[in-house]
Amino acid sequence: MTLRERRLRTAAYWFVLPAALFFILLNAYPLITVLWDSIHFKNLLNKSLSGFSGLSNFKEVIHNEYFAKALWNTVVWTVLSVAGEYAMGLVSAVALNQQVRGRSLFRAIIIIPWVVPIVIAGMTWTWMLTPDYGIINLWLTKLGIIDKPYYWLGELDTALLTVVFVNIWRSFPFYTISLLASLQSVSRDMLEAAAIDGAGVRTRFFRIVMPQLKIVSLTVIFIHVIWTAINFDFIWVMTEGGPLYASETLPIMIYRYAMESYNFGNASALASMMLGFMICGFILYYLFSQRKSRT
Amino acid sequence: MKARKSTAIVIVTSLLALMLSACGGGNGGDNDANKADASGNTDSAATGNEAEKEVNLKFWAALDPSTDEGKTIQAKVKEFDEAHKNISVDLQVITYDILHDKLVASINAGDAPDISWGLAEWFGEFNNFGALADLTPYVDKWADKNKVYANVWDALKVDGKVMALPNYLGIRALLYHEQILKDAGFDAPPATWDELLAMSAAIKDKTGKEAYGIAGAGVRSPQELIMYLAQNDVQLAKKMDDGKYKNTWLDNPDELAKATEVFKFYQDLQANKTITADAKTWGWEEEDQNFVLGQYAMVVNGPWIEGRSTENPEGMKDVKVAAPPYKKTPATFMEIAPLYVYNSDHLDATWELAQFLMSADYQNAVNPSKAPRNDVVSEAGWGKDFMALADQGVVFPTVSLGGITKAMEDALARTMLKNDSPESVAKWLAEAINKSLETTNELSGK
Amino acid sequence: MLISRRKQRLLTFITYAVLVGFAFYCLFPFLWMFATSLKPDTEIRTLNPSFFISKPTLKHFDNVLNGSAFITFFKNSVFIAAVTTAASLMISIFAGYALSRFIRFKGVKAFSVAMLLSQMIPGVLLLIPLYLVMKNMNLINTYWSLILAYTTFTVPLCTFMMKGFFDTIPYEMEESAEIDGCSRVGIIFRILLPVSLPSLVATSLFAFLNAWNEFMFGFVFINDEAHRTLTPGVSLFKGLYQTDWGSMMAASVLSVLPIVIIFVFMQRFLIEGMTAGAVKG
Repeated sequence: MTLRERRLRTAAYWFVLPAALFFILLNAYPLITVLWDSIHFKNLLNKSLSGFSGLSNFKEVIHNEYFAKALWNTVVWTVLSVAGEYAMGLVSAVALNQQVRGRSLFRAIIIIPWVVPIVIAGMTWTWMLTPDYGIINLWLTKLGIIDKPYYWLGELDTALLTVVFVNIWRSFPFYTISLLASLQSVSRDMLEAAAIDGAGVRTRFFRIVMPQLKIVSLTVIFIHVIWTAINFDFIWVMTEGGPLYASETLPIMIYRYAMESYNFGNASALASMMLGFMICGFILYYLFSQRKSRT
Repeated sequence: MKARKSTAIVIVTSLLALMLSACGGGNGGDNDANKADASGNTDSAATGNEAEKEVNLKFWAALDPSTDEGKTIQAKVKEFDEAHKNISVDLQVITYDILHDKLVASINAGDAPDISWGLAEWFGEFNNFGALADLTPYVDKWADKNKVYANVWDALKVDGKVMALPNYLGIRALLYHEQILKDAGFDAPPATWDELLAMSAAIKDKTGKEAYGIAGAGVRSPQELIMYLAQNDVQLAKKMDDGKYKNTWLDNPDELAKATEVFKFYQDLQANKTITADAKTWGWEEEDQNFVLGQYAMVVNGPWIEGRSTENPEGMKDVKVAAPPYKKTPATFMEIAPLYVYNSDHLDATWELAQFLMSADYQNAVNPSKAPRNDVVSEAGWGKDFMALADQGVVFPTVSLGGITKAMEDALARTMLKNDSPESVAKWLAEAINKSLETTNELSGK
Repeated sequence: MLISRRKQRLLTFITYAVLVGFAFYCLFPFLWMFATSLKPDTEIRTLNPSFFISKPTLKHFDNVLNGSAFITFFKNSVFIAAVTTAASLMISIFAGYALSRFIRFKGVKAFSVAMLLSQMIPGVLLLIPLYLVMKNMNLINTYWSLILAYTTFTVPLCTFMMKGFFDTIPYEMEESAEIDGCSRVGIIFRILLPVSLPSLVATSLFAFLNAWNEFMFGFVFINDEAHRTLTPGVSLFKGLYQTDWGSMMAASVLSVLPIVIIFVFMQRFLIEGMTAGAVKG
């Protein structure tokens, strides 16, 4: 290692030090607790059982009748939410990047969903979506889109999708802002040069703009996959995982284990499993993208 | 390039300025924290010499500060605070939504308040944590002990020891829209399940409305289920000889049959269109709101509905109170909202406050129509009608309920969403209850 | 001239159509909240919900501003969110830079993995451990408990965002500065940040709103009204059996509007920050 490299390394470590301190102070302990508890008996209500449990927590969790269902729901919830948010975010960011009148007004409007506190947003949407006194059902029936009011959050087949819809509403502004910020760095010179060479709007968008957005898109999607997968608030406020586990995701299950059964062993085992799933997902993605870039 | 540089400098300086100003503001916070610390110190110092030094009591209440009731409570507590030189009460408003998680976190970190409101459903759990103080010696000496309903005391005892105190009662009664029943040609509400089922067709025909409402999901649904079970003489879990609990439906064909009838009743309500199809997944909010709006005729519900008349005067004007319809035995759910008193080294002072909160004076001011005392029954409004049902009130067994109430909710979903046969649901619930008791080490070996 | 005039007109039309659609989607619930906050109690929960108000009233706003501790909550939230934003921005600029340029060092790589892992724990499992940590540091019921917690929550994402933004900036720009004798810190502040101003705004907005919106820890760490933040404060209008919808909605409107207004002013940096120096087409 050269002297310059060594100096750079020292600088690099200084740069991550503050963030690392925060991590060690507040994150490392809970993270280790989760991993530790997952292989120990820890039930706050039943202190008679304690000590090393081997894999029994994992077994109990997997044998939960609704484990597979919750796992599947988590995948559906995450994929649909993130895909929807990204699509909405991209379209709105491109639209907001055009030179049109009133765009600062539109930009301000678009961040509103993000600013409304989740609990309040969840309660308001729940109210608007109810069959008997909710405005959405009333309007939809009046417009003739549906024959009679529909209990969006109370039926097995629509509960999860409805919460996904509300979650997209809530989260896409973040994509908009991030993408908008990086759209700004797309060089106009390059676009003009391409236009002179005869590239159409579509070609220019996919060949010049999208590659510029790639890194930011990946970062935002990557983080949101994690965040959406562990997200809890919206589902809890709107359906509590019901009806009959139709919108139950793994974090809801973890919450139940921890705060309803006080079985922190099981809760931690499930959380560790989730961690494992996500890490596997990312490793697969990494290998896949490596192979793709090689060919 | 220059323009960019200068903007960057502006941003960074403003950031720094923000941080500096933030630090300035932060000192205020620090001071407050120091103050809190200081009082905390007197707190621990008080243990040795309680009479002289001031005791600081942390009291967490889920009152609603925007209502008259909430304001009265705050005023009353302040009154107590001022009347007691050596006790200062630090009353904090925390909604029920978060109170549970906050209490669990603080109890397990050894930082519980001295006294708090709570839901009856948490009683077994908190007791299991070993967080609750044994109040038997205080209660035994209390002059007003006999003023509190006897079945309320029973519900707050574990192994003969009083582990929580009554805050207020939420007794359930049948509420009905008199006008809807009249329009359908009925003078009186139904007394039994069968009468209720029989009335529904006429009500639907004449008024276009459903006869009845239930909560198929959420916290309210197990409370309703335990009531229907009690109305058919079945218990969720029995206390066995060894002091632990067990669900005995599978040991006893007669009990299983009765439990099955209850789930059959739910399915009949649905098949008969006595309830609207949506009610199978209604939470309490939908149940209450639709009743208040006059969307259906009858519901078993609590006295708080009276408060809705300010919002929906039109829908509320014909609402009357009666005893809930039953099958074998008249019974209703009695929600005993407890005051939890936590272990601490200044229990005497906490008891002073608790005693005040249970006094006739406080209860008359705050809970005229839902007091746990038989000498506080409001003549006005609904209080009297509800209190008349206090004797037939049933409560949850004093075990950890988290797993059990969830299983009850699931049983209802199986009955009404999956249309499982009532008998298989009853069997499933029996097993699920015992399994939950087993994981919390409360299952009887007998 | 990038496209023909006819096409330009079509594009503008589509743009407007899209923007109006989005505006409707975003605004609808907010407008409903706003309408509700102006309705008298008897018009709020009815069988014919509508945006029309027959007897508008400011009673709920009066109740929120004068009958509750809303102003205190608001001040607390602004303070906590501002400090959190400043702190996490400072921290993540450096960490993000290290991740972008020095990921080849093992320590930095390990650090990035650890931060990612930390994001994968559901909040409910943090509740008791973090409560213990805060209690041991004597921070329960102080602003600092929330500032520390929120900074920890936001730093990882801010770091990854900053890394993403720095990645798009060519390394050559730094090299020339290095030859001129600029220090590392100097390079970040003089070369990188000015170019990534929009990204800084986006990141800080994220950090701010994250702290602004957090609910559970805001309730669990704080024991009194003097330190309570806005989101838990607003939810106090939800009673056990009955929700004071009018006041809750009024409080929500009052907590949303200032942020939106600040954003209107901030977006100058978000958009023009970059174009100010660039050649305009």
